Amino acid sequence: MTAKLNVLRYVLGAAMLGLWRNRTMTLGAVVTTAVMLVTLAAFLAINDTLNEMVTALGRKSNLIAYVRDDARPSRVTEIMQDLEQRPGVGEVVFVTKEDALRIFQERFFDQRDVIDILQANPLPASVELRMDDPAVLPALADELRGMTGVFESVAVPLDVVERLVSISNVSRAAGTAMIVALTAVALFVIANTIRIAVYARRQEIEIMKLVGATDWFVRGPFIIEGAFIGLVGATLAAVALVVMYLQVAPTITRIISFLPIATDVSFVRNLAVFIVLVGLVVGSIGSYVSVRRYLAV
Amino acid sequence: MIVLQNVTKVYPNGTRALDDVSLQIDEREFVFLVGPSGAGKTTLIRLINRDTSPDSGNVFVENTDVTRISRREVPKLRRRVGVIYQDYKLLPGLSVRQNVEFVLKSTGEFNGRTSKWVDEALALVQLSDRADHHPHELSGGEQQRTAIARAIVRRCPILVADEPTGNLDHATSWDTIQLLVRINALGATVLMATHNREIVNTMRRRVIEIANGKVVRDELGGGYDG
Repeated sequence: MTAKLNVLRYVLGAAMLGLWRNRTMTLGAVVTTAVMLVTLAAFLAINDTLNEMVTALGRKSNLIAYVRDDARPSRVTEIMQDLEQRPGVGEVVFVTKEDALRIFQERFFDQRDVIDILQANPLPASVELRMDDPAVLPALADELRGMTGVFESVAVPLDVVERLVSISNVSRAAGTAMIVALTAVALFVIANTIRIAVYARRQEIEIMKLVGATDWFVRGPFIIEGAFIGLVGATLAAVALVVMYLQVAPTITRIISFLPIATDVSFVRNLAVFIVLVGLVVGSIGSYVSVRRYLAV
Repeated sequence: MIVLQNVTKVYPNGTRALDDVSLQIDEREFVFLVGPSGAGKTTLIRLINRDTSPDSGNVFVENTDVTRISRREVPKLRRRVGVIYQDYKLLPGLSVRQNVEFVLKSTGEFNGRTSKWVDEALALVQLSDRADHHPHELSGGEQQRTAIARAIVRRCPILVADEPTGNLDHATSWDTIQLLVRINALGATVLMATHNREIVNTMRRRVIEIANGKVVRDELGGGYDG
């Protein structure tokens, strides 16, 4: 037990000493990691905001499927029940011919004479959808259009939704590419920092191996150094993130009030925790790769 | 204590460093390993602490075939075999005492009890009063004595030395040998590769001579040239 504690103390001490001896590189690696993680956080926040916008707009937009007069009511009910089960669909409402006419009349100043002139109600009944996820709208519209025996036509206010969905997709793709690139850079910088640390301590390592130090005893300090770099970089990023959010988000919300920026504390807190975890993992992996490659233990 | 059975080691460049070598060294023996440069002395020493592995044959250390142990078991072996080198291999940034302590710290064995071992090792090599000096402040002989203290601090039963006097002058070489003899008398098995004709001829211990990777002489109380 004491031996284990001794090992732990030695490994931690050696890691801290190594970081200090190599402080310029350490600082560079910490800053790179922090920049990478701030960018990651910014992307996640932007993506979240875009998703919120798409969802908010989608909630307002309906899909309206006009029912043929000769459609069987039981078939329409069946389709409505099916639609309610679909993912992304919020609310399914049936508007009868009479309702449609009443709405029409309310909108157009009680023109009862129209009916008198036409002798019949020309307005079709309709099924109206309110969406939770507008991304599924286009596919759903096509499907309903295919049911020519039931629906005359399907109306979708597609353009705005489609554009938002595509912006959101592009931003997700660009952001993912950027994150991959930045993570690679951070991994490379940390791995390189550790490589230099290994090189600087090669004599020590050689002797440790010759006198019977275990592999993990030799590796330990380097892995901890990498993890430490990741952790400190991530903590800096998390602090920057929280400060920016507190300063910037209210201003943006004031200027562009319709932008549904997530201003709640839990979102920022979760993001900060996530960032710190990412930093820790990237740092550990970076140094592990380097140790495996350059330590030959 | 140390047994080699039909050991052959060929380096990737084709050099046959050891060619079907068999030998046995018993507990508490003091053995000189002689032969021209490139004869295979260093390879033989490196086999004993698994610093390298043979292409064929077996190497037993304390009844364990070290050619068959796993990577994880190598540290255990090395804690039983102290090694001394011609170039000392001291850490320049550490004092004499810290260099010796480093061995124990490297294995997590450094504590109040083992810190006494450090004192004893330093006393044995007569460096107690220079314990706080750094290697560059020491003479060659003192540096080698530091390395010896480091090799014995864990009370290893086996001590192997690769040309320990190679960089030392006449008088200092004799001090080093006297030290190894004393360690041998305290119970350690000592195997020392050397080019020092005078020392081998004067000591009259067991001499194993290898040339071109083969044992050409194994003589009790032998001289350098047989």
